[in-house]
Amino acid sequence: MAKVRDGDPERLGLLYERYKRPLLGFFVGMVRDKELSEDLVQNTFVRILKYKHLFRGDGDFRTWMYHIARNVKNDHFRKNKVAHDKVEFWEDKLGGEASHAVDLQSEEEARMIAVALDKLPDDKKEILLLSKYQEKKYKEIGEILGCSEGTVKVKVFRALQELKVIYKLVEKAM
Amino acid sequence: MEMDKAKIDELVAKYNEGLCDPEELGQVERLVEEGKIQLTDLKELTKLEEHLHRLIEPTPSKQLDSRFYEMLAGQTQRVAPEQFMWSWFSSKAWFPKFSIGVSLLVAGFAGGMLIQKNAGGHEVVKLSGEVAELKEVVMLSMLEKESATDRLKAVSLSSEIEGKSNRVTEALIKTLNSDPSVNVRLAALDALQPYAKASSVREALVRSISQQDSPLVQVALADLMATLQEKSSVTELKKLLKQRSTPKEVKKRIEENIKVLI
Repeated sequence: MAKVRDGDPERLGLLYERYKRPLLGFFVGMVRDKELSEDLVQNTFVRILKYKHLFRGDGDFRTWMYHIARNVKNDHFRKNKVAHDKVEFWEDKLGGEASHAVDLQSEEEARMIAVALDKLPDDKKEILLLSKYQEKKYKEIGEILGCSEGTVKVKVFRALQELKVIYKLVEKAM
Repeated sequence: MEMDKAKIDELVAKYNEGLCDPEELGQVERLVEEGKIQLTDLKELTKLEEHLHRLIEPTPSKQLDSRFYEMLAGQTQRVAPEQFMWSWFSSKAWFPKFSIGVSLLVAGFAGGMLIQKNAGGHEVVKLSGEVAELKEVVMLSMLEKESATDRLKAVSLSSEIEGKSNRVTEALIKTLNSDPSVNVRLAALDALQPYAKASSVREALVRSISQQDSPLVQVALADLMATLQEKSSVTELKKLLKQRSTPKEVKKRIEENIKVLI
């Protein structure tokens, strides 16, 4: 990223290739709409390029990228104060991909997790998605959210606690 | 109140059994915050989190790649032919894969060389020479491929070769004159522009004018001649004007360029 900032924007292509998939996963997890999520991925990279001079270079690019991604997502929600689709349509929007699991014991389990995640409040969903895509680096997540590592752990704990409760309900219902 | 390790372990065990009351849950939360209990100690949550982490990610569409590379091209675009280059990059979105491929190849080669030899200054210079040579070989062989896309990649690769050898510029000139694809010829012309300072390249470009049958390449060459102020091209350009097959619009553009040159 430092090279992008210092006048070699083509290098952004490498970062895009590395992070487009997890970033799309983060947005899809949040907004449940693949097409919209792709717009948000694009907007994130537009913003990265626009504000490249603000990248300090002493930190991790991924952390900075998710910081920008959150702002892009929040701006989107602010501008479009509309209710999002019900969870039932989630998988349709993903073209069925959400229900595909690589190593999960069953596709059913993956589907239940996806449904339970979707029923979580946005802030809890976000912390779990950040934890997934930041590979549980709580200190970095703290930088993104502007809080301490300990606070992040508590947030993850609370979110997982709630997910556990919802998951059990979903399990019963299915 | 400080809690000793045994009590913490006991609390964790109780949590994992699902037997914590709300007050104990509060204690667990506080200990997690203080780093005295790791989230990984809480088995059921960890299992759930693992499931979450293993959910497969959606695959980005080709359109996303196109839009991104179009945006990037907007930032990095150089001189003409703008439209052609844009659509070329955006339509195929081949560049990232290709550059990663070439980078890996070069990195592998470089890595191998570094392991074999001590990386002194001399070796580094020698190594970068060898890397450039390797790119050159790859580029020349790709120019021979049947697929126009591969040949476009080859032409693009030529821009990555530092200190182009005559072999590269000659191959680009040959491509400009004889490649069956107009797009490849245009790309070759674009790749040759930085080398137009060399008289041999300029002369070859001038000679190329009469060999072109595509109006697009004719116009691109005529524009380049005007940019380079290559007066010796006027004779060749006039030949195109006399040809009945030259489209009217092209003739008009050539006339404009001739005016600039004279």
